[in-house]
Amino acid sequence: MTGPLFGYKVVELAEGVGGPYAAMQMGDAGADVVKVERAEGDRARGWGSKTAGDYGITFLVLNRNKRGVSVDLSTQAGVDAVKKLTDSADVVIHDEGWSDHPDLSVDAIMARNPQAVVLNISEFGPEGPLAEYPPYGELGAQMASEAIMSLGVPGQPPVRIGVDLGTMYSGIYGLSATCAALIARDRVGGQRVDVSPFGTLIAMRSTLWAALSNPDEWWGFHLDSYMKPPDMGYHTKDGAVSFTLGRMTREQRDELYKDFQMEWVKDDPMFQLVDTDPAGSGSRYGWKVKPVWEKAFSKFSTAEVLEIGRRHGATTFEKNNYAQMVEHPQVKHVGMVTTVEQPGLGPVGQLIPPWDFSETPAEIRLPAPRLGEHNAEVLGA
Amino acid sequence: MSEGPLAGIRVFDMTLAMVGPWCAMNLGAMGADVIHIEPPQPRTMPGADRPGGGVPPSINGTSIGYISWNMNKRGLTLDMKSQEDRANAYELLKTCDVFLMNMRPDVAGRLGVDYETLSKINPGIVYCTVTGWGQDGPMRELPGADGQINHFTGMSTTNGVEGATEGELYRHSTQMDASTGNYATQAILLALVGRKRTGKGQRIDISMLRATTHLQSARIGEYLARKTINPGLGSAAQVVAPDRAFETGDTRQVAVAATSEAEWATFCDVVGMPELKTDPRFATNADRVDHRSELHAILEPRFKEFPLDYWVLQFRRNKLPYGWPMRWDELRYHEQVRANGYINLVPSNAFWGEVWTGGAPYHFSKTPTTWFTTPEIGEHNEDILRELAAGRGAATPAPAKQEA
Repeated sequence: MTGPLFGYKVVELAEGVGGPYAAMQMGDAGADVVKVERAEGDRARGWGSKTAGDYGITFLVLNRNKRGVSVDLSTQAGVDAVKKLTDSADVVIHDEGWSDHPDLSVDAIMARNPQAVVLNISEFGPEGPLAEYPPYGELGAQMASEAIMSLGVPGQPPVRIGVDLGTMYSGIYGLSATCAALIARDRVGGQRVDVSPFGTLIAMRSTLWAALSNPDEWWGFHLDSYMKPPDMGYHTKDGAVSFTLGRMTREQRDELYKDFQMEWVKDDPMFQLVDTDPAGSGSRYGWKVKPVWEKAFSKFSTAEVLEIGRRHGATTFEKNNYAQMVEHPQVKHVGMVTTVEQPGLGPVGQLIPPWDFSETPAEIRLPAPRLGEHNAEVLGA
Repeated sequence: MSEGPLAGIRVFDMTLAMVGPWCAMNLGAMGADVIHIEPPQPRTMPGADRPGGGVPPSINGTSIGYISWNMNKRGLTLDMKSQEDRANAYELLKTCDVFLMNMRPDVAGRLGVDYETLSKINPGIVYCTVTGWGQDGPMRELPGADGQINHFTGMSTTNGVEGATEGELYRHSTQMDASTGNYATQAILLALVGRKRTGKGQRIDISMLRATTHLQSARIGEYLARKTINPGLGSAAQVVAPDRAFETGDTRQVAVAATSEAEWATFCDVVGMPELKTDPRFATNADRVDHRSELHAILEPRFKEFPLDYWVLQFRRNKLPYGWPMRWDELRYHEQVRANGYINLVPSNAFWGEVWTGGAPYHFSKTPTTWFTTPEIGEHNEDILRELAAGRGAATPAPAKQEA
């Protein structure tokens, strides 16, 4: 059995996070992906820390399942090699940083290969005054889309979303849109598809925009009031947990209070507000009573808080760091973490593809390519 | 019929809360005929008398969650426990390409919509279920929701003020739900592409756990390589330097970065410090990451010398990554947002009025997307049942091959 994109030829003219991630996911799904790099290589090869021994991990985990070629775009032979690849591709993953060469712009590629689906990624979107910016700046999109307003404290220095949310989203949405265009290709032929970190971050905050549309009462979406302080989880004796009361009966709640030795809160007016608010502990009042819960939890271990809480119907889970997460029994059971043998480096830990297909399974076949590793095989040079 | 790329694709959207509805809404934006199923007695939470109500805030009693996660769909009510409605559901499913559900593993069988049943009715069906923690394993029966997944997967530990030893939750707690929905959209579309070759439908399982960790692929990969947990970095990137926000002369913030060696050389010129180019501490990106604090100490006073507008102009002119913080009232009317249709003001009905929402974040040059308002519960019952009776839309497996 082979992946759903078996038989499709994908050429990647992209760097950083968004384009490479979309292309890698196509490789995971069975497509034949050729990554083209300039002589200096994808900039992400240099991302990391010497002392931490990062050796371009971002690059390695976002570029598996690809063959790699390097070309010198200052020579006609180099440009011709890329033209030849894109001329026979089903899909070209292209980012705005690759538009400099007139023969490699989206329009030029489509003019030569009208059946191609060309995914173009720019930082702020294909139209408007900021259309031509390369999509390698994560924080700029996070700030401009106001996405980082959900971290830190207003008036204090901003806190970045540590995961590359905007650039990853551009890759995730980019892959979906590319597939949709492949479905439509029988009907309309190839076409150009555009996504951007800025646009995808804005789309992902739709719930907030709707919450700002003349609501019955405004204090933010129930899980994201701008007024709430940073949330580090509910501290326990030996760690931290997430903790939500959810839809419990009065009796369940009373038993819960009893087992956490906090029965007095039954008569506390603020707790009564939390109890009657349909958003429960995620509500506008939830964080105000959090210190009371944390005082109670300080006598219990994380395991005990989970056990007592779940026994009475609360929704509660560990707050993990990555070390704890990868060792968690559920994560182990699912087999989420795997290693890919990287020639010259050894095994590189990474995650298996996120989808389970019953008929066309995704799989990891190739490690990330060395710069120009497949020049002879792919370019015949 | 729509002009979107998914014109001709029909989706049986048996979802609730956010993950499933969000996924189907995106299929609708791309032109699929998405039929959102609700029971005749809508699921409500305490205090709500309108569909999806209860989770605040609301508009005229309807949760903005229901309104903003169910656009681009038609609405049909079915009581899956009644024989008549179940027979109608099966008739409708014969005409569908996609079945989507995000309830706990055992619910599908009870409602007669398990994969075994539906794949017999329609062998071409792409059947997607979304769960919190997976179909298997010690946590399979537990509910999953956004904030909890965020903390559980370690995502929150990647955020924090500089030097913080414990990370903070990303408080816009629909991102993990929506992200999972987006991975489900990917999987469904991949399977529909695959169906052109195999001619068959299949079963897809998506879990919030695997989807939301995949979103963190790079950070998790870095942890697995070196087995250390980073303290908070404020607005700085973990693997690139410089890449953070600096306070400007007018006490605003500007996000700047140099993501390649070429950009670093330009960056040094733009900030008027060409001498940094030859400073061995900053020779390569990895060197700059390792000497990040020294680099920041040099740059901080420099950025305070000029106002935000100066830096925006300089970075824009030199094509370096940059950004500045926008809030809602600036963002929704910004020329860039309007030019790309990234935010919509969607007209709805007498109950909800006009609703702001994100637009379709993907643009197709030939097959335009659509964005229209959420149906009321059962709004399209008559239309859909009439279409069924007229025998419209006999089983549509793979779309017919046509060369453009």
